[in-house]
Amino acid sequence: MMALSKALLRVAAVTCLASPSLGADTYTLPPYSPAYEPRTLDERGLWMEADVHEKRLAGSPMRIRDDHLSQYVRDVLCRTVGSDRCGGVRVYIVDIPAFNATMMPNGAMSVWSGLLLRVRSEAELGAVLGHEFAHFELRHSLLGFQNRRSNSDLAAWIQVLGAIAQRDVSDTQLSIVGSVYRFNREQEKQADLLGLKYLKSSPYPSRSASEVWQHLMEEADATAAGRMIRKKHQYSAGFFDTHPTELNRADYLLEEALKFNDPGEAGAKEHYKAVEKYLPRFLSSQIRLNDFGGTEYIVSGIAGHTGWTGALLQARADMYVSRGNVRDLITATTLYLNAIDSGYQRPEIYRGLGLGLIKLGRNDDGRKYLKLYLENVPDAQDKKMIQLYIDDAGGE
Amino acid sequence: MPKLGRLFVAFCFAIAATMVSAQEKTGIKQGFQLQPGTARILLLEPSVRVGSQSTGGLFEPNADWTEQAKNNLERELSEVQGRLGNRVDRHELDGSSASAKLHDYNALFGAVASSVIEYQFFLGNRLPSKKKDKNEFSWSVGPGLKDVPALKGYDYILMIRTKDAFGSAGRKLLQIAAAFGGVGVTAGEHIGMAGLIDIRTGELVWLNADLQMGGDVRTTEGAVKRVSQLLEGFPGRGVQ
Amino acid sequence: MKLLTLLTGLTLVVSTSANAHKLIEPGLREGVAGGVFSVSVPTTMNRLQQKEGKFQEIWTVDGDGLNKIIFFGGVPDGEALLRQRDKKNNPLPRFNSKMLLAEIPAYLETSYRSYYGSPKVNIGEMSPVQFLNQKGIRFDYKYMSVEDEVVRSGMGYATVKEQKLYMIIFEAPEIFFYGRDIGVFEKIASSLRLL
Repeated sequence: MMALSKALLRVAAVTCLASPSLGADTYTLPPYSPAYEPRTLDERGLWMEADVHEKRLAGSPMRIRDDHLSQYVRDVLCRTVGSDRCGGVRVYIVDIPAFNATMMPNGAMSVWSGLLLRVRSEAELGAVLGHEFAHFELRHSLLGFQNRRSNSDLAAWIQVLGAIAQRDVSDTQLSIVGSVYRFNREQEKQADLLGLKYLKSSPYPSRSASEVWQHLMEEADATAAGRMIRKKHQYSAGFFDTHPTELNRADYLLEEALKFNDPGEAGAKEHYKAVEKYLPRFLSSQIRLNDFGGTEYIVSGIAGHTGWTGALLQARADMYVSRGNVRDLITATTLYLNAIDSGYQRPEIYRGLGLGLIKLGRNDDGRKYLKLYLENVPDAQDKKMIQLYIDDAGGE
Repeated sequence: MPKLGRLFVAFCFAIAATMVSAQEKTGIKQGFQLQPGTARILLLEPSVRVGSQSTGGLFEPNADWTEQAKNNLERELSEVQGRLGNRVDRHELDGSSASAKLHDYNALFGAVASSVIEYQFFLGNRLPSKKKDKNEFSWSVGPGLKDVPALKGYDYILMIRTKDAFGSAGRKLLQIAAAFGGVGVTAGEHIGMAGLIDIRTGELVWLNADLQMGGDVRTTEGAVKRVSQLLEGFPGRGVQ
Repeated sequence: MKLLTLLTGLTLVVSTSANAHKLIEPGLREGVAGGVFSVSVPTTMNRLQQKEGKFQEIWTVDGDGLNKIIFFGGVPDGEALLRQRDKKNNPLPRFNSKMLLAEIPAYLETSYRSYYGSPKVNIGEMSPVQFLNQKGIRFDYKYMSVEDEVVRSGMGYATVKEQKLYMIIFEAPEIFFYGRDIGVFEKIASSLRLL
């Protein structure tokens, strides 16, 4: 089998200096030439690590091995950056409920399920993938790495003076697929601008890039509201940790996009069709994150495009059950019933509804639904537990 | 990734700095003997990482060093493996689903070795139940190992892991500063371990581990020294 | 290389005092988990010095990476299962005494996701059982640790009494260790009493 590092011969990159200029004309894409070899010491070190990481990523149990889904993501990438560029890229989808996509210096790209849940169209997905590809094309990972080093040097001196030591020992798959490379604001801007150029040449509207950030910030606000924390409008956690963002990032992206004046088909319908099969699973993982506000925002955002489908109603109900305040049970009950009425009659709904009704003291109604649940899933893992409630509701 | 309390971590380092000296290095299953010429050993692709440690403690991989070290260690291993008394073949770990089981076991080897080091080798942290019998060394990954297809025809697995992070100049200065302040900051790590696992029973019959190994693995002599340390006391070796 | 994670392990706090961890001899033992439980110990074990939360006690035979039993001695209404590491950005869900027993496993899962950053916890079977002399739940689960990439299986017994959560769980690598030590855990769980 060909060594992964040889794949770099198939992966094209701009063969220019470490800080490439983007060309005088802000609208056209720079030319792209194949054949790229990592040159400096640090660079080769990163490629070598990347090859090792990619091997492990390929064999990881966290990987979603679905050819259709992977093909969908690849197609969006290729439509965004063009077939010249997307040729040698390997796409890996990872089941992690957070918004992220990464690209390693050797051309391996990871896309997290939390990202697929949050983007609302092919264009938005393309905007994120294009942005990551831009970091790769601009060889930012090398520079980002160096920047990260100097940041931590400074931090270390401060910490010693404060008598505290710190070390990053992360060596797990999560760190591999996760944000290994941090970029500074300047690099983020460069990647944004190159990303916009890809979008301009693509069938997608370039203002989708701005929309991605708007949604992320709104979600962060919703999370904070849900936790009764004051909105800071200073986004630093999670994805923002490695993608420093100011309030105006969405603004300048929109401004640039308006200059391009390129309407296009965003492909919202197509996106939700492609991820439809996985939506309940992604939503269920999201709900487990204990982020009521953020989850509500996401679910409502999807509903804006697809309408309140049974899957979304169920997810919303599950959310309320998870928060578990007194009134939440009543809300959840209503939502479950709405889902059933809409024709979406999943066993989990019967279970959730049944248990909720029992908690509300409506034992007969609760038992009815729990019976339906077991009828639909006769070999349920919690069969014995649920049967107890059917036999003995109110005895808890 | 969950955040660690900094005091927490600092405490660990302070202790680690003092504990490195109070550490055993080898464990061997009671009564275990390996007769030369009797076994086939599978050497799992060694994990070799070399880089530098910045002032901030960040591990920075260094391609040239890693490549040198990997070549040196592999060369030395292939030299030495003929002198281990038994035949040693090397196995590459790829990402295919066929080797998933071997991957799982490889991860488990790491967990077992970590437990040995953390709860047996470190004297101050030894589990009380393991203090009673000084010679006891019973660690295993169980009888399922022999069913892994890739291991067919082999009797033992040899697992080798090294990680070398050379302290940068900044880090060395930091260490001096910290020493005055009584805070433990390790400068450079040279971690290595070699373990022998009996495929038939899953038992870890032998483990060598050290958090401060010798030999600069970037050089041929260093690799020779390192491999010699790693395989020191390798069962069934006969005359060293 | 997981050796480094030893020193910065989630639960490792090491003391240089002579007996950091305590020996647990077979026999009746009282006052477990803050004076809450009594238990009949079938085999020699160790009580770890470290814990991950206020109401906990952790026992092990070979080290918490290979087998561990965690006792939760009465988590009150409104408290989290484990230590709140980052209340603002990553709050752990709080126990709600109105939870049905059937909801306890999901509560554990959400706590783990938050505490360990574990992307996925798979809950398996759930059954009603007698635990601490009243109605309880037994459940099993599986998850992959992000630290060492080992898949671990777990089993738990739980019940709610006077608005507090009493629980005992056992976790060990799915390969070999879980099957080997589950019997000891079952004995311990069945002997558990409230003082």
